[in-house]
Amino acid sequence: MNKQKVENQEDPLSSDLNQNIHVLRSIYENCSDLVFRPFVIGGKTKAFLIYIEGLCNIEEMNASVLSPLMDESAAKYDTLNELLENKITVSKAKEVKTSTECINYLSIGSPLLLLENESIGFAFGLAKWEKRSVEEPTAETVIRGPREGFTESLGVNTSLLRRKIRSPKLKMNPMSIGRYTQTEVIVAFMDGIMDPTLFEEVTKRLKRIDIAGILESGYIEELIEDNPFSPFPQILSTERPDVAVSSLLEGRVVILVDGTPFALIAPTTLYSLLQSSEDYYQRFLIGTAIRWLRFVFVLISLLLPSLYVAVSTFHHEMVPTTLLLSMASSREQVPFPAVIEALVMEITFEALREAGIRLPKQVGAAVSIVGALVIGQAAVQAGIISAPMVMVVAITGIASFTLPRYTAGIALRMLRFPIMILAGTLGLLGVMLGLIFIVIHLCALRSFGVPYLSPMAPMKFRDMKDVLIRAPLWMLNTRPHLTGKFNKYRQAPHQKPDPSQGD
Amino acid sequence: MKKLFLVLVVLLNPLFLVGCWDRIEINDIAVVTGLGIDQKNEKTIELTAEMYIPKALGGGGGGSGGGGGPQTYVRIGEGNTIADAISNLQEKIPREVFWGQTKVIVIGEKLAKEGIRVTLDFLTRHTEPRLRAHVFVAKGKAKDVLALHPPLERSPSEVLRELAKMKILMDVTLMNLLQMLSGDAQAAAIPMVHILPPQKGMEPLQTIAYINQTAIFRKDKMVGQISDKLTRGVLWFRNEIKLSNITIKPKEGKGYVSSTLLRANSQLIPKIEGGKWRITLKAVTEDDVIVNGSNLNLMNPKFIQMLEKDLEKEIEHRLTQTLEKVQKEMKVDILGFSEEFQRKYPKEWKKVKKNWDEIFPSVEVTYDIKAFIRRPGMSTTPQGLPEDEVKQK
Repeated sequence: MNKQKVENQEDPLSSDLNQNIHVLRSIYENCSDLVFRPFVIGGKTKAFLIYIEGLCNIEEMNASVLSPLMDESAAKYDTLNELLENKITVSKAKEVKTSTECINYLSIGSPLLLLENESIGFAFGLAKWEKRSVEEPTAETVIRGPREGFTESLGVNTSLLRRKIRSPKLKMNPMSIGRYTQTEVIVAFMDGIMDPTLFEEVTKRLKRIDIAGILESGYIEELIEDNPFSPFPQILSTERPDVAVSSLLEGRVVILVDGTPFALIAPTTLYSLLQSSEDYYQRFLIGTAIRWLRFVFVLISLLLPSLYVAVSTFHHEMVPTTLLLSMASSREQVPFPAVIEALVMEITFEALREAGIRLPKQVGAAVSIVGALVIGQAAVQAGIISAPMVMVVAITGIASFTLPRYTAGIALRMLRFPIMILAGTLGLLGVMLGLIFIVIHLCALRSFGVPYLSPMAPMKFRDMKDVLIRAPLWMLNTRPHLTGKFNKYRQAPHQKPDPSQGD
Repeated sequence: MKKLFLVLVVLLNPLFLVGCWDRIEINDIAVVTGLGIDQKNEKTIELTAEMYIPKALGGGGGGSGGGGGPQTYVRIGEGNTIADAISNLQEKIPREVFWGQTKVIVIGEKLAKEGIRVTLDFLTRHTEPRLRAHVFVAKGKAKDVLALHPPLERSPSEVLRELAKMKILMDVTLMNLLQMLSGDAQAAAIPMVHILPPQKGMEPLQTIAYINQTAIFRKDKMVGQISDKLTRGVLWFRNEIKLSNITIKPKEGKGYVSSTLLRANSQLIPKIEGGKWRITLKAVTEDDVIVNGSNLNLMNPKFIQMLEKDLEKEIEHRLTQTLEKVQKEMKVDILGFSEEFQRKYPKEWKKVKKNWDEIFPSVEVTYDIKAFIRRPGMSTTPQGLPEDEVKQK
């Protein structure tokens, strides 16, 4: 662990208070947010209370540490332990013996108490800083389902998991990553459900990371994934505790990172990118239907513009006559070839989407008006773009947002462009070529040892009940088989409700 | 990195090497929906292409919809052979002629009588025309049929296609035609279209061509035509009958009763007995009564049974008429007898294959027709008749 630390101070605290203060002051040189508060315990022992401003609870510190210690009655206790036992009313207090420990505690917001003639100090668990409250995740909204989402603070996130899984089998393994940020990362898993080798692999990959800082879980994702050149996300990220918990219960590993509401889930497959937590909260028939809708729209978002381009420039005989004629009549004035038309419109759409995210809310409305009116209607009316093309682009745009995972949608949107160029040069042959390339790539992908296309390739019939359909809950008796050993059964069999079941 | 670059080069190469060679935008093709072929004189062939005018369809930019103008136009190419005619046709059209959507092929009467084999060879050898295109023979010239401006449908070929799809009379696709001609019977039947005289006050071109007769081909040459009534008889033999109204005059009850076909199924059963070639037409038909002009109360099962008997007789009468014309007069086997014999008696068939034309007229036909009247319609008694005039029993 310590190899990643830049400044290595294993030196123990001395019994000279001034010496200790001097060391700390020199480490924290030019750090105006560090506060040294000298005071005298019970009128006789010199002491220092050290903390970082804004990271600890000042009222609590005044009431439970400073005022009882400065009281006259404190004079009768001599040793630090006696003081702790009798005077200090803070529940969490930890001994510190080295200046490294001092720095660690100070940096997480614990105030530090150092005394004259003592070679140990105390760190109090009085950390408190401004944090966002638990809110509904904005990128993964549901109609039915819990409204809480992870926040930026790790403690809240672990508590959200622990509140859902009360069993002590939920293990959380901390580690800190980042030379300077020392970001706390927690690997959570279910003991007895997860394959232990998976945890080994995850920690091994995490320990390999040696960078200046982790600002978001995306950093970690990029440094531990299997194929860094693939456009497809090989690790699922989610803001929703219920998604994280269901993955834990299937034997996956959840990586929580301090400072971001996005938790990572590994391993993952292509099909879990197409599943929403809501599939399981709705009736299973509806869940199945919506899942199929997504499958269809995945293909549409990947292929529709390319198919339109290919068919309208190479395979006129494929289109029903009447449709061909209306396509021809709307293209009559269009100056560009269909490929160029499609590329221009798709790029414009992507720009609009990107601008929509970045724009300040006040100008957002203006952009959507410009986008819808100028680019849509005006372009058609001016005869620069044909009306069917606008429809194709609009449907494709909608299709890519039917995917519950934004990252997967982006991957498909990006792959659309090369296929479009292939369609414009080689026709349907090119579309098939592109599709075959993508499928081959997907077949070769793995996420922590799990084939990306499983359970379709390799075929696992038992696991398909949660991929092709959303089987009713009372049929989902077995967990998906990821790798190695797995805890097969997740529930008791024969739970189909029936009036005759009552006893 | 080097590998990635190599992959990129490999991927980009096919695009530059072969890409786009047959790329053509929709607005650079002339979509031919109907094709007419005529024999102009002994040497010259006329190829008529009926094409859509995309501008006239409205929609798209400008917003200047087509309005009243015609939506199709025709161009005629001439030449000694079909290939010549095509090049001549392309000279007159600024866009590339595209045959892939040709769904109607009209053959002029004169060409049909001269022989259509070469035409069919062109249509099947060329990559674009469809085997599912409907084939017609025009009374007169094919180019006149395609030059019409039908008031209801968008183009004359669309009219013909819809009419053929209804299957009131023959419906023959290019593929059917090829099968018929390559069969041992060497006979084919193609629907024949006439131009309907335009309504009073309409422009001379504002009319349609409609299917009225059937052209009979021996080998690839047209030998004659039969009327719509006889065509329906042919359809009975070929088990293709879909729509038919039959009117009968029952012995009792003064007046006529008309019925319409719900379902019909017919079957040809061949038999060779002592050198005599026989065929039995077994047909089962279910009908609805649509008009009751008699005073019979059709709620009485006795009358229904009587009507069924009369219906059977009427159908048989029609079929005999058909047979008279097709088998005895024209002597062309468009009824499908040869295939039935071939299937059941392959050995005997091999012997007579060469002179089937001589045997065919002598084949004896017997009938086994079953007609059922399923529903007498919405009224029970004859409408508009006082009760005492209705014949109850």
